[in-house]
Amino acid sequence: MSRISVFALLLGVAFSARADDLSILPSSAVLDGPKVSQRFLVETASGGFFTGDQTANARFSIDDPRIATVSVDGTVSPVGDGATVLRAKFGDRIATSTITVKNFASNEPWSFKNHVLPVLTRAGCNMGSCHGAAAGKNGFRLTLRGYGPEVDYDVLSRQALGRRINKTAPEESLMLLKPSGAIEHGGGVRFSEDSLEYRVLAEWIASAMPRPREDEPGVVKVTAVPPAVRFRPGQTQQVTVQATYSDGRTADVTRWAKFGSTDETVAKVDESGQVKVEGRGEAAITVWFASLVDRSTISVPSELKDGSRIFAEAVRRNPIDEINLKKLASIGIPPSPECTDSAFLRRAYLDATGTLPPIEVVTAFLADVSPDKRVKLVDRLLQTSEYIDYWAYKWSDLLLVSSKKLPPNAMWSFYRSIRNAVETNVPWDEFARRVITARGSTLSNGAANYFVLHRDPIDLTESSSMAFLGMSLTCARCHNHPMEKWTQDQYYGMANLFSRVTLKDGERGEVIVSPAPDGDIVHPRKGIVMAPQALDAKPAPIESRGDRRELFASWLASPENPYFDRAIVNRVWRNFFGRGLIEPEDDLRATNPPSDEALMNWLVGDFRAHNRDVKSLVRTIMTSATYARSSDPVPGNEADTKFLSHYVVKRLPAEVLLDALSRATDVPTPFGGYPSGWRSIQLPDAQVANAFLSSFGRPERVSTCSCERSAEPSVAQALNLANGETLNQKLRDEKGAIARLVASTASDAVVVETLYKSALSRPPDEAERNRLTGVLAEATAGLKDAKETAAARRQAIEDLYWAILTGKEFLFNH
Amino acid sequence: MFRVDADRPAHFCDGLTRRDFLHAGSLSLLGLSLPGLQSLKAQAAVPDSDVNCIMLFLVGGPSQLDTWDMKPAAPSEIRGPFRPIDTNVPGIQVSEIFPRLAKIMDKVSVVRSCNHQATAVHDTGHQMMQTGRLFTGGIEHPHIGCVLAKVKGAKGDAPPHVLMPRPIGNTGGGMPHGQSAGYLGKTFDPFVLNADPSAKDFKVPDLLPPEYISAVREQRRKSLRAAIDGSVKAFESSSDARLLDANFQQAYRLMSSKAAREAFDLSSEPDSAKDRYGRTRFGMSCLLARRLIERGVRFVTVNMFETVFNEITWDIHGSAPFSPIECYKNEVGPNFDNAYSALIEDLSKTGLLSKTMVLAFGEFGRTPKINPAGGRDHHPGCWSSLMAGGPIKGGQVVGASDEIGYAPKDRPVSTAEIAATVYQGLGIPLETEMIGPQSRPLRIVDHGVEPIRELF
Repeated sequence: MSRISVFALLLGVAFSARADDLSILPSSAVLDGPKVSQRFLVETASGGFFTGDQTANARFSIDDPRIATVSVDGTVSPVGDGATVLRAKFGDRIATSTITVKNFASNEPWSFKNHVLPVLTRAGCNMGSCHGAAAGKNGFRLTLRGYGPEVDYDVLSRQALGRRINKTAPEESLMLLKPSGAIEHGGGVRFSEDSLEYRVLAEWIASAMPRPREDEPGVVKVTAVPPAVRFRPGQTQQVTVQATYSDGRTADVTRWAKFGSTDETVAKVDESGQVKVEGRGEAAITVWFASLVDRSTISVPSELKDGSRIFAEAVRRNPIDEINLKKLASIGIPPSPECTDSAFLRRAYLDATGTLPPIEVVTAFLADVSPDKRVKLVDRLLQTSEYIDYWAYKWSDLLLVSSKKLPPNAMWSFYRSIRNAVETNVPWDEFARRVITARGSTLSNGAANYFVLHRDPIDLTESSSMAFLGMSLTCARCHNHPMEKWTQDQYYGMANLFSRVTLKDGERGEVIVSPAPDGDIVHPRKGIVMAPQALDAKPAPIESRGDRRELFASWLASPENPYFDRAIVNRVWRNFFGRGLIEPEDDLRATNPPSDEALMNWLVGDFRAHNRDVKSLVRTIMTSATYARSSDPVPGNEADTKFLSHYVVKRLPAEVLLDALSRATDVPTPFGGYPSGWRSIQLPDAQVANAFLSSFGRPERVSTCSCERSAEPSVAQALNLANGETLNQKLRDEKGAIARLVASTASDAVVVETLYKSALSRPPDEAERNRLTGVLAEATAGLKDAKETAAARRQAIEDLYWAILTGKEFLFNH
Repeated sequence: MFRVDADRPAHFCDGLTRRDFLHAGSLSLLGLSLPGLQSLKAQAAVPDSDVNCIMLFLVGGPSQLDTWDMKPAAPSEIRGPFRPIDTNVPGIQVSEIFPRLAKIMDKVSVVRSCNHQATAVHDTGHQMMQTGRLFTGGIEHPHIGCVLAKVKGAKGDAPPHVLMPRPIGNTGGGMPHGQSAGYLGKTFDPFVLNADPSAKDFKVPDLLPPEYISAVREQRRKSLRAAIDGSVKAFESSSDARLLDANFQQAYRLMSSKAAREAFDLSSEPDSAKDRYGRTRFGMSCLLARRLIERGVRFVTVNMFETVFNEITWDIHGSAPFSPIECYKNEVGPNFDNAYSALIEDLSKTGLLSKTMVLAFGEFGRTPKINPAGGRDHHPGCWSSLMAGGPIKGGQVVGASDEIGYAPKDRPVSTAEIAATVYQGLGIPLETEMIGPQSRPLRIVDHGVEPIRELF
């Protein structure tokens, strides 16, 4: 079902409106009380998509002016109880919406929670850089974005000798004088005296400042209108925001909402919700109100010539391709053709095993004519020990395996438990459960070291959520998450899942981890113990017996948990495409949606259907046509880095790069304390000193965050490659690949071919071969002395290989 | 296309013949190298609102009571072994271990009320003094010099921020020291010298090719790389690939830039200069810092020590592996006094002092009461910092400690305010926001944190 039709059901849009391609949004509204108004949008639609905001061009009228009035911009205000119809005329077409007005005579005052706080939030009073700062501002401190109505009420009504509010003369209240600029205000003028904001605050004060009540309805849902549009560059759209309250009422809260764009090169949005399309592609306009979010998708397809043929002919190997091509077609971006065999070989080796294919494999693979050789290659790679090393390394990054805080034997034990899990391809929920519920000796159960690295419930809450949910909860430690639904209450409920763990020293120098019978962490603001609760799971009774960590592990794997599978699917996806469907890979916020929701959903479904088998997920990805696309763009997809139209090149990770240099030169890198020939991706420990790895962005494994690893090139890296000892010594080595080549009878042409195949997994093309054999011949031209000639040739080969190994084709996976 | 001869003058695609690639640098397409110090001095006549900064980090934590906040009237177990001396600013006294500083006090101001509330380990103070923040919530804040690098970029060939001689290593806490670009990304990390400028064979590692790569070979490598790398379309749309290219170009610029090479070349400094700075690691680092600032580096961080273990430092616990209090008089004090005063004097002489802030401080102070080992322990409750140069007015004392130097008595100064003061001095608006992890906007200093206005 498309989002529009889902939306149609939700808002009861009569899609007969689609027949004449003109709609009013929302299609009906209930205005409850005299203060409520509702803004309507007039949209043209075509082929199931909204295609243009005609609100400014439409003429509005109300059938019964005794019920409601409408302004030229489509804002309807109540006049008296009853029902009527709003009509919008655009050209010769008319669309209608039903209006119901209730409780017009009620004189219910403005609510502190539902009106006053949104005003303060919208005006920026309680933002982090003003009075919402932890220390407040100039002695006036509000809760960040109004998460604590009770606290804010007391601060406004009681502190500062009551000067902030003057009940008898509301206009003398500091909370009006300051933001309206009547007296000096460090934060400047936030609203004018004739604004709705001013009026809400003034009327609330005049009505004896009703305090927030427990039983007051709260916002339960926020909806962005329209949910999706398909536009052209230059078009504009007003996005409006509807709030639904727990008593069923709805209200237009556009004026108090906060807007953002996920891609400003596609669409920009201003603070009133006015969207302007800037370029082609797809962006989500995120709306935030009262800690709830929704989004409106703006698709701006390119005009693709011959699009239907291109997409009909595009290769499909599994459902990934079907879904991805649908997305590409919807935004008019053509896919690149399939990559060459050598590109696929190199890519598959590096992505699945972090290893450069050996030259024999290159030769054999390129000579293989069997049609399914790529699938067979993938299956072979998944059975290699390098696959185990590489993914064990990856999950060791995730779980911060390091001797920085662990003694060496414990570090090894932790590493081995991870490597073993990869080797036996343990389902991901079981992998998580083993870590989260680990108990016993850190030497016999390596996973137990997780509780040595993260010793307190706060750290465990945040690290576990980053590692297994791909979400940062840190904000909620001190206040409700400002842009997410997570509350401080939920945070401390979650922390109490980890509050009953004890560590004691064992006899063999290990640490014994066990569940404890008691121990709770207190909510710092409320001073009470929150019932143990895994985020939005049901809270467990505080008295409940047993290991509370089990509750978390079970919740992780429960079908109601939408985050766990997304997080790992996204991490694995990012390994192959260099960009998560959600990016950054561990930022699964509602305001940071996947670039392709349908694809994410299919992958998650498939992952679950395969019992959370990571290897199966890897295989599915690697055998898709989407993964096998060339990195060379075709006209129309050059600028795309998000929608998988071509393989986006990525710099090799530090460890993979160092190993690739070692393999290409056949000179291993020595690591202190490890046997010769030990590769970087086999290192269990991030503490092994190596300047090359540090310079190229190896993570330190100190905090759980994908941001620890850096693939960003730096000047220091360029200097290291140019002048540093790592690469230069590998080239000079007397036992390495170059030395052997030079000592052999290989002709210049064979030398060039060997270097290319070893480093780039492809033979040189004709032009390259001619040019580079020319360089080698030139180096010795005119030299008589044999020794001199040999030395000059060796140097030239070293220099040629240096140039290959520092080129982008080598440093990047492509 | 191009011809390369290994042992003879090289011919290049542009038809030029070059005897020496280092010479080639000044002609190179890439090297818009600065034509030396002469013209630099000429350029200095052009009004330039840029302010540079040299941060001398006195790793270990100097004792306020034995340096810049003497308490001669306190009991002997508090006042310690040293006596105060007068300076050229009436009313300001410093410890007798700084006779040369005493003569230039009119150029230097002391803040005597620095304090922080975090754990009393070295690492927290390192973070807070170099970034203005304590790292919590997994956010690694950027060093002030890295923010400057991000905001203003490089001047000419020189890297915008150089850290020397080496990063601060283990000081016991196992925490980051706040000396990287943190969430700003590696692009803005300081250029780390990783060498001891006082070493006889001092050279910057990786700045120049190893000896076994001749200039001719180096040029051949560069040409080959350019030819092989070609223009593969796949890389054109990748910002990392473009950055890699830019980095190689920047690396080549550095390698071939006369100005950059000269900047790191201490051998051209006269012996008399080296003697004035003191031929120690710190002394030569300060001399090098001056050369770098003269040649376009915007920010130089000099770590006086790399660790506090088994080395004579400011960390005077009194017992091994730490340092005894006497070392202030016979080693650490003179080492600092020589280098610091020579640096201020030189910058002052060339007029650069008015455009270069010079900061000197440690990560905390020391406990007023001398401990049983005859030393003083960690004390973040109160310490002194020196600030000079740029828009900072000299010859002032800001803040005061109580009668035993235990806590600020007047105008306490937080580490965030120190950072705000440095940003203010550098001309970076305090409300500047950086984009942190998860697109979270982070102000360089928190709202409401003020610079030390008295210093401007």
